[in-house]
Amino acid sequence: MLALFRELEGSAYLALHAVRRLGVLRLPPVAEELMRQIYFTGASATGGIVLRGAFIGTLIIAYVIEVLNADAALAVKMLLWVVLREVGPLIAAVLVIQRSGTAVATDLALREISGEVASLRRLGIDPYDYLVVPRVVGMALSNAALTLYVQLIAVGGGMVLSSLIIQVPLDEMLGVFFLLASPLDLIYSLIKSVLFGAVIAVIACYHGLRPRGHSINAVPQAAIRAVTEALLAVMLLNVVFAYLVYGVALFGLVTAEQ
Amino acid sequence: MSCVLGYEPVADEKSPERVWLETPGEHLLSSLYKDQILAAMHDLRLRNGARLVLLGADVRALGDAERARLLRRVAFVPANGGLMSSLNAWENISLPVAYHAPEKLEAALADVHALLDELGGVDDDLLAKLPEHMTLYERRLAAYLRALLERPDLLVVESLAAGLGPVKRARIGRFAEVYRRHCPNGTFVQFEG
Repeated sequence: MLALFRELEGSAYLALHAVRRLGVLRLPPVAEELMRQIYFTGASATGGIVLRGAFIGTLIIAYVIEVLNADAALAVKMLLWVVLREVGPLIAAVLVIQRSGTAVATDLALREISGEVASLRRLGIDPYDYLVVPRVVGMALSNAALTLYVQLIAVGGGMVLSSLIIQVPLDEMLGVFFLLASPLDLIYSLIKSVLFGAVIAVIACYHGLRPRGHSINAVPQAAIRAVTEALLAVMLLNVVFAYLVYGVALFGLVTAEQ
Repeated sequence: MSCVLGYEPVADEKSPERVWLETPGEHLLSSLYKDQILAAMHDLRLRNGARLVLLGADVRALGDAERARLLRRVAFVPANGGLMSSLNAWENISLPVAYHAPEKLEAALADVHALLDELGGVDDDLLAKLPEHMTLYERRLAAYLRALLERPDLLVVESLAAGLGPVKRARIGRFAEVYRRHCPNGTFVQFEG
C-alpha cells in the first residue's frame, strides 16, 4: 500500500513538474527531444493503425447490420458513439502504451543504469526538464493526433469497406453520419486522448527513472510495470470520463439520444 | 580558504587520509577516495560527516543556488565519457551550451573545431558519430571537449588513459596541456588507475 502511495506521489510530482516547466521546451536540446518523441510516438506509429482502424469500423457496422438486423442509420450511430467517443481514444492509447510506453520506460531505465541521467545532473541539466517534459508533451500531442487518425480511418474506412463487403449504400451512411456527427464528440475524445497520452508518459517516465536495481534485469521489469500501470490508469480514466460526461457533470450535453 | 579541491572522509573509514589540493595546476590523485569524491561532486551531497571543499568553498555551507553556481565552475570527465546515447558527438559536446546559453552555440562550434585542431589525430566525421559508433578514445575526447567548452576553473578527469593503446595514451597526454593553455589559472585533477 505504501509503495502504491509512493508511486502515485512520484507520478503526481512528475506530472506537476511537466506542467510547471513547459517553458523549457523553448531550449533547443529539449525542443529536439520533443520532436524526436513526436516522431517516434506519432508519425512512425500511423502505418500500424490503418488496418486496425478500418477493420474495427467494418466490424461495428457489420455486427449492427448483420447480427442485430438493424438499419444503416443505427450502424452509423453505433460507429459514432463507439468509435468517436470510446474506442478511438482507447485504441490510440493502447497503441501508444504498446509502442512508446515500453520504449520510454526501457530507454530511461537504461539511461539511469548507464549513468546518463547522472551525467545530465553533472552538466547542470535537470533530467526531469530534459527527459520528462518533452516526453509528456510529445506523447500527449501524438496520442491526440493518433486518436484523430484512428477515428478518421475507422469511421471512413469502416463505411467504405462496409459498402463493399455487406452492400450498405455508402451515400446513405454518409448522410446519416453528417446528420449525427457533432464537434462535441471530437472535442470530448481529443481532451481524453491528450490526458491519456500525458498519463502514459508520466507512468513510463516514473518507472524508467526508478529502475529497481542497477542490473540489466531492472530494465524489462521497469517496462512491464509501466505497461501494466499505464493500461490500468487509462481504463480507470476512461471510466471516470464516461461517468462525468454521461452521468454527472455534463449530463444532457452529450447523450445517446441524438 | 586556500583549497581548490579538498575531501575529508568520515571518521570511521579505514584510512584517515584526506585529499587537500591547495594550489591550482595539474594534480594526479590516488584512486583511494575516487568513488567518494566523485559521488560527492556528482550532486554535492556528502556522506554523513564527510567534508568537500571545491574552489575554496565548503559545500556543506552552501545553499542550493550557490551550489548550482559552483557546479558550473567545475567539470568532470568520466572514464566512459558519460555521453547521451541518443545524441551524436557534436550534440553531446554542445549540450550544456545549447541548454544554458543557446545564443553561444555558433561560437561553440568554432571553438570545438579549434580545440580539435589543437588535439589533432581525429576523424573528420567524429562530430556526426553516435556514441555507439565511437571508440573509447573518441568518447573520452567528446566528453573532454564538452567539459573544456565551459572553461571550468576545476577539471576533474577519471582515468583517461585506462584501456587505451600507446598512441592514444600519448594523445590523451595532451589534454592537460590544452586545458592549461585555455585555463592558465585552472586546476586539472586526474585520478590514477
